[in-house]
Amino acid sequence: MFEKVLVANRGEIAVRIIRACKELNIRTVAVYSEIDANSMHVQMADEAICIGKAASSESYLRIDRIISAAEIADVDAIHPGYGFLSENAHFAEVCESCNIRFIGPSPRAMNALSDKAVSRALAKKAGVETPPGSEGIVEKEQDALVVAKRIGYPVMIKAVAGGGGRGMRIAHNDISLVKGYHTARSEAEKCFGNSGVYIEKFIENPHHIEIQILGDNKGKIIHLGERDCSVQRRNQKLIEESPSPLLENKFKKLRDKIGKAAVRIAEAARYTNAGTVEFIVDDHGNYYFLEVNKRIQVEHPVTEEVTGIDLVRAQLEIAMGEPLRYSQGDVTFKGHAIECRINAEDPFDDFRPSPGRVEMYYQPGGRGVRVDTHAYAGYTIPPTYDSMIGKLIVTGKDRREAIDRMNRALNEFMITGVKTTISFQQAIMQDPNFRRGVYSTTFVEQLLGGARRELIEEKT
Amino acid sequence: MDIKDIKAIIDLMKKNSITEFELEEKDSKLRLKRGLNSGSPAIQSDDAIPLTSTTLPAAVAVATVPVAIPPAAVTGEIDIKSPMIGTFYRSPSPESASYCDVGTEVNAETVVCIIEAMKVMNEIKSEVKGVVTQVLIENGKPVEFGQPLFKVRPT
Repeated sequence: MFEKVLVANRGEIAVRIIRACKELNIRTVAVYSEIDANSMHVQMADEAICIGKAASSESYLRIDRIISAAEIADVDAIHPGYGFLSENAHFAEVCESCNIRFIGPSPRAMNALSDKAVSRALAKKAGVETPPGSEGIVEKEQDALVVAKRIGYPVMIKAVAGGGGRGMRIAHNDISLVKGYHTARSEAEKCFGNSGVYIEKFIENPHHIEIQILGDNKGKIIHLGERDCSVQRRNQKLIEESPSPLLENKFKKLRDKIGKAAVRIAEAARYTNAGTVEFIVDDHGNYYFLEVNKRIQVEHPVTEEVTGIDLVRAQLEIAMGEPLRYSQGDVTFKGHAIECRINAEDPFDDFRPSPGRVEMYYQPGGRGVRVDTHAYAGYTIPPTYDSMIGKLIVTGKDRREAIDRMNRALNEFMITGVKTTISFQQAIMQDPNFRRGVYSTTFVEQLLGGARRELIEEKT
Repeated sequence: MDIKDIKAIIDLMKKNSITEFELEEKDSKLRLKRGLNSGSPAIQSDDAIPLTSTTLPAAVAVATVPVAIPPAAVTGEIDIKSPMIGTFYRSPSPESASYCDVGTEVNAETVVCIIEAMKVMNEIKSEVKGVVTQVLIENGKPVEFGQPLFKVRPT
């Protein structure tokens, strides 16, 4: 049983973790940067320790300072949240060597899924399809052409060390492949210091479907269904829902198949605690493994609402050594849940970040409405961290009711003083294609009517 | 300092009901006084108004971290702040004498205390030249980043 847990994070997820700890009678320690002194997680925790200046590199990413704080506060465990150090195997190792439990997968499991190439190989071993592509890095332009011929156009050229949609090019023929190959390599070199690229089949109208998994320290792993996260802008998720309308409407049997595939991959990696296995599903029901997110995710409330299982509490219990209290057969799904991320950005000005003081704040309520946030009236959103200030999660008996309820809730949501994406979320809720459940990752760009910036094709 | 900054300071004073404000920089000195209550005390260094504060609207705030007005301009004492998180010790070992006490003269290189983090004893330097006027933390207590440890009157 943990007496005290340190939350190595900030914002809404820190609040979420503190709440789960309080419900288990575990004392909480918050760490914060100077600019976060008035942040909600600092107010809520039993103790709070300042660990540095505003920049993440001076505070939330400083392993030494977090461990020092953990030591002077004499905590039993650290919950890393998401982002920051949550998938840092070295941090997990340091915790263990200091006799502090890391609430997440073991360093060994993290290393087994350390990068995209390694994970792809593991998935293959577990008998799960990955998008057809090159086996590892493509060294020469000539090899790129051979791979493209084998898997067929269109293809994606992707940086191995890539992220955030950078170092990626799409190609529809040999000429744009050659051009794209070279520009992707130089962009990768500039952004990540590593010019290595690999080639993958480009799935048209891809649907991002991810499976929530939970594994205890005895090797038992279950899945808790899917979340459809296809509504994205520049590879950043905006809306997540469960069940996936694609699976519900067209491929009902896929849920079980993809769920089992996710569990197989997690078992191959000897995964423990909470995680998410990401897949790409095309319009014909073909599914391909993408990667594993080795942490609790932003959109975890969606799964909590349809399964009734508290995922953060499960994380704490697993870390305390308790066996999973559910078997796969115990997991049931009821109703439909949708989450809208609320960002402090101006949707009318290219989503420019809008930090500053929240003047008026009134969040929606009523039946089936949940808000996970750290914002409050008078809170100043600092410019130094990401722009998400809250999540609005709505549950209904079916998708139709959930969408109508989300509309109602978004209408009630009042935030003044800063710009937010609430109005943009409303536009999506009222879009006929979204309402029909017919959308892929191209949805937002089409809605905005603008050029597709994530996928740049070299013109011939 | 231009008129925009002065206007921002005036707004800040109004918002926070401050009647007197003084700022001394390298080549300028500014003193503002509101007509309300001439008897109110000058601002203490501990409550130094950040020039760019987290309560300012984003349009005015420039720095991303609140910048405290040098307290020397107000009461004459400077805080030695903790640069790390750990346990505060006043002497190199339990049997030795303290590094410094009230009245000790220090310069920038003088070691004033030890902060122990993860079994490593870190010697903390004064970084100011002056005389220690207050010891703010008890021996063996934990300290966090930025926490004031000593007050020094600069010479």
